Amino acid sequence: MDRRQFLLLGATAAGVSACHAFPGLEIPVRVDMPGMALGHQLRDAHAWPAATEHRDVDTLILGSGVAGLTAAWQLQKHDYRNYLLLSGPEPLGNTAYGDAGRGLRYPKGAHYLPFPTRSSTHVRELLADMGVLVSGEHESHPYYDEAAILHAPDERIWADGKWSPGVIAPVAAHSESARQQARFFRWVEQLKTQKGSDGLRLFDIPLVLSSQDDDWRRLDMMPFSRWLDQQGYTDSALRAYLDYACRDDYGAGCTHVSAWAGLHYFACRDGHASNGADGGLLTWPEGLGRLTQWMYNRLPAANVMAGSAIRIQEGQHNVTVDVLAGKTRMTIAARRVICAMPLHVLKHLVSLSDYGFDVPQQMPPHAPWLVTNLVLQGFPPEKDGEPLAWDNVRAGSDGLGYVVATHQWIREAMPERTVFTAYRNLPQFSPDAARKWLLAAKPADLFDAAMVDLDEVYGRPRLWRHAQYAEITVRGHAMATPAVGFLHNAGLAALRKQDGRLLFAHSDLSGLSLFEEASWWGYQAAQKILG
Amino acid sequence: MVDRLLVFSVFVVASCGLAYELIAGALSSYLLGDSLLQFSSIIGCYLFAMGVGSHFSKYIRDEDALTRFVDIELLVGLLGGISAALLFVVFAWLSAPFRSVLYALVFLIGVCVGMEIPLVMRVLDRQQMALRDLVSKVLTFDYLGALAVSLLFPLVLAPQLGMIRTGLLFGMCNVAVALWTTHLYRQHIAASTARLVKGGVILGGLLAAFLYADRITHWSEHGLFGDEVVYSTTTPYQRLVVTQWKDDLRLYINGNLQFSSKDEHRYHEALVHPLLTSLPWARQVLVLGGGDGLAVRELLKYPQIEHIALVDLDPAMTQLFSTSPRLTALNKGSLRNPRVTVVNEDAGQWLEQHSRMFDAIVVDFPDPSNFGLGKLYSVPMFRLMSHHLAEHGRLVVQSTSPYFAPRSFWCIDATLKEAGFNTWPYHTYVPSFGEWGFILAGKTKDFTPPAKYPIPLKYLDDDETRRMFRFPADMSPLKMEPNRLDNQSLVHYFEQDWHEVSR
Repeated sequence: MDRRQFLLLGATAAGVSACHAFPGLEIPVRVDMPGMALGHQLRDAHAWPAATEHRDVDTLILGSGVAGLTAAWQLQKHDYRNYLLLSGPEPLGNTAYGDAGRGLRYPKGAHYLPFPTRSSTHVRELLADMGVLVSGEHESHPYYDEAAILHAPDERIWADGKWSPGVIAPVAAHSESARQQARFFRWVEQLKTQKGSDGLRLFDIPLVLSSQDDDWRRLDMMPFSRWLDQQGYTDSALRAYLDYACRDDYGAGCTHVSAWAGLHYFACRDGHASNGADGGLLTWPEGLGRLTQWMYNRLPAANVMAGSAIRIQEGQHNVTVDVLAGKTRMTIAARRVICAMPLHVLKHLVSLSDYGFDVPQQMPPHAPWLVTNLVLQGFPPEKDGEPLAWDNVRAGSDGLGYVVATHQWIREAMPERTVFTAYRNLPQFSPDAARKWLLAAKPADLFDAAMVDLDEVYGRPRLWRHAQYAEITVRGHAMATPAVGFLHNAGLAALRKQDGRLLFAHSDLSGLSLFEEASWWGYQAAQKILG
Repeated sequence: MVDRLLVFSVFVVASCGLAYELIAGALSSYLLGDSLLQFSSIIGCYLFAMGVGSHFSKYIRDEDALTRFVDIELLVGLLGGISAALLFVVFAWLSAPFRSVLYALVFLIGVCVGMEIPLVMRVLDRQQMALRDLVSKVLTFDYLGALAVSLLFPLVLAPQLGMIRTGLLFGMCNVAVALWTTHLYRQHIAASTARLVKGGVILGGLLAAFLYADRITHWSEHGLFGDEVVYSTTTPYQRLVVTQWKDDLRLYINGNLQFSSKDEHRYHEALVHPLLTSLPWARQVLVLGGGDGLAVRELLKYPQIEHIALVDLDPAMTQLFSTSPRLTALNKGSLRNPRVTVVNEDAGQWLEQHSRMFDAIVVDFPDPSNFGLGKLYSVPMFRLMSHHLAEHGRLVVQSTSPYFAPRSFWCIDATLKEAGFNTWPYHTYVPSFGEWGFILAGKTKDFTPPAKYPIPLKYLDDDETRRMFRFPADMSPLKMEPNRLDNQSLVHYFEQDWHEVSR
C-alpha cells in the first residue's frame, strides 16, 4: 500500500464531502475564459486610451481562428505578402490546445474532422499541403496518413453499469428499438448521396453547396424533434443519441435545432478514405489545433501581430481599425479587412446593419461550452466491458463524454501520463441563463458540472489517485446553434455575399460551428482578395 | 516489578494484534487488488472477532486466567506467525477458497486477540491493583503498542522483511510473551513445564520458518510456474519471472513464456542471421524490444558491426539481463559489450524523436495481443522504421506463428507491404513455442536467402535456410488486408487464432 492509497483510504473514510471542507485536498482547478474580459469591455462600451501609433496595410485579417488562418494561409500560398493577421484575444480560437509538458498535448476546443466530402476541396487542399492527405486529393477515396485516422477502439457507451461498443445504448435484437434505429440509419445513409432538383447533394459540406431544393429546405421551418415524431422515430435510446449528437455539434437538443440541421449532421458526412472505413475521421492529440498551428507556423513573423480590434470604420478609400495591442492603442488603415471573428463580438465593433445584417432579429443564438482537461498520472482502473476508447460517453448524461488525448499515440506501453478531455454544455438553460450561471459559478461548481461523466464511471476518489490538475476552458458563446429557420437567415446570406472593403469570414456565416465551414469562409475571403 | 512486566507484555501483545490485521489487509490488497474493500472488510471482521473473543473470555474461571492467557499467546503466535505464509501458499496453490481461508484466519486470530486484554486485566485485578490504575495502565500500553506497529509496519518491517517474515517475527513475539509469563508465574500456571516445552517447539518452528521464508515464496511461485523461480520482480510495465529446471532457464513476462534456454538459439539465430548475413556491409544496427540481450548476442558475432542500439522499454529487464550471472552467461554479457548502447525508452517515442539511420533493424516486439501493442504492427509504425533504415538496409519483424495464427502472420506481411516494403516471410520450428514466423523486409527487391553463413551457428545451415523460406501446403500464404489502425484487425485475428488453438 503506497502513500496515495493511504490518503485515499483516509479521504474515503472521511467522506468525499469532507474534502470540500479541506481545499488542500482538492485537485488544483484552473479556469480559463478566453476572450471574455475584452468581449465584455466591448459590450459595455469601455473607454479606451487614445491611439498613439498608426500603420498601413493592404489587407488586415481580424482573428486567428480557423477562418482567419485559412485566409492567411491562402494569401501566403499565393505569394500575396501585404497583409497582417491580428491574432485576437485567443490565438487559434476554438482550436486552441494546451501542453501538459513532455509532449502531452490536449484540445481546448474542437478535436476532430470527419473525412472531407468531395465538395470540401478547401479542406482537402490544406490536408494535402500538410501531408496528412497523402494521395488522391481529387478522388472520392483519398489515401490519408494513418497516424491521423482515428485508431480503434473509437467509441464506447456506459449504460446499465457496463461499457458497450458504439455511442447508442445497446438494445435487444429484433426489438422495436432496433428496428427504428436500423430504419433511421438506412434513411440517412440514402440521404448522403441523394440529390435535389438542382442536381446538388441535399446536404453537403460546405453547407452553401447543398441543394436549394425547396422540398427539402422546408424542413428548416420545424424542430428536429417534431420531424422525428412525424416519422415515427420515438425510441428512447435513438432519441437520446440524436439529442446527444445535436448537443455535441450544435450546442442545443433536438427540440431547438432545425430539422434540416438535424439531418445535415448525419447526411452531410459522406467523405471516404481508401485506407479507412466509411464514417471514419481524422484527429490528433491536440485536436484541430494541429491544423491551425500548422497554418500559423507558415506565416512570417512580420505578417502576424498580437492584438485585438476594438472598432472598425469603413471610409471612402480604406477601412480604419482601432487596435489594442498590449497596453498600446493604435490605428491600422487597410484597403480591405477580413472580419474573421464571431458575429456576437463583431456587432460591437461595426454597425452590421450597414451590411444587411439586422442584429436583434438575425443574430444566431450562441451556446456555451465547457472543455475540461484532467491531467492524469497513469490511467484510472476501468470497469466491466469494452476497454478505454477515444470517445467515451454515458447514456442519458447531461455531459458529452470524454476523449483521451493520448489515444492516437503509438506506444509499446500505456503512457505514464494522459489527459481526459471532458466536454459539456448546459442544455437545461437557455444560452443567456447558462452564461449567467457560468459567470457566477465558482471553480468547484464548474468542476462538478464538468465531472458528471467521469465521476459516474470512475468515482472521484479513484480519479484523485491519478489527477494532477484540471484546466477548464469556458467558452460562453462557443458555437452558433442552427435553430429553426437558420437556413433562411437573410442577414447571414447578405454577409456571405459582401465583396467590398469589408469581408466576413467565420463559421457563424453558415449558422453552424464546423471547422469545414469556418475554413470555407476564410478561403472564400482570400479568393476575393486574390481576385 | 513482576506486574510491571505483565503490563509491558500488553504492549507486545497489542503490537502483535495490530500487526496481523495489517498483514492480512496488505496481503489481500496485494493479491486481490481493491485495497479499500480488503482493508475495511478485514478490519471489520477482525474487530468483530475481537468482540466475540472478549465475550467468551467470561467463561474462563478466574483461577485459570493466567494459564489460558499463556495458551492463547501460544495459539496466536502460531496462527498469526504463519498467517502470511499460509495465505501466500493458499493463493498460489488453491486460488478458489482464498477468501474463505483469509476471513477464517482473520476471525480466529481476532477471537484469540480479543481474549488477551480481558484476561490480563483479570490477572492484574486478582493481584489487588486499583481499578483506575489497572484500566489506565493496560489501555495505555495497549494503544501505545498499536501506534508502534502502525508506524513500524509500513516504514520498516514490510519493506525490509516482507510480509511472510514480518508475520513470523510477530508470532515469535507472542510466543516469547507466553514463555516469559510461564517462567515468571510458574507457581500459578498448571503444567508449566509442558507449556514451556510446547512454546519452545512453536518458537523453534517459527524461527526455522523465518530463516527459510525465501523458500516459502519460492514454493508458492513454483505453484504458479511449475519450475523453481530463481528471480521475480514486478516493474511498472510488467511482471518478470525467471525459472530454472535443471539446466533450462525460462523467462516469463506477465505469465507468458518468452524463451527457454534449451531452444532459444533456434529463435534468435533465425531472427538475426538471414538478415545480417545478407547485409555484409551493415555497420549500424537497431534492436527494438529484445531486452534479454539474446538477439544482440547473435548480432555481436559479426565483427563488422560497429554499433548496436537496443531500445527496450523496461530498465528492470535490461538491468536483470546485464547483471544476473545466470542470465549473462546465457547472453554472453551482450548488453555490457562496448559496441552496444542500451536505451530504456518506449520504442514508438524513440523512433519519433530521433533521426539516426541504421543498416539493419531487428524488431522483437511482444505479440499484438491488445490494441496498444497492435499499433506497433501498423503502417505508420513501419513507415517510421523505414525512415530510420538505409536505402539498401533491411529489417526483420517477429510476426507470431504462421501455423497457429496464420491470419495474424499474413496480416503483418500485408501491413509491411502497405508501408512500402518488399517482404520475404519465413518460419522455423522452436520446440517450446511451436512453429514460429518472421518477416524480412526491405525497400529494394534484391534479397536472396543466404546459402551459407560466415560464422559458426548451432542450428542454421543452408538446407535449413532453404526450408525456412518455403511455406508447405498447411501453412500456405493467405491474402489479408493490412492492419489498419481504424479497426486493428490484427488484434482481432490474433485473439481469435490463439483462442482456437487453446480450445
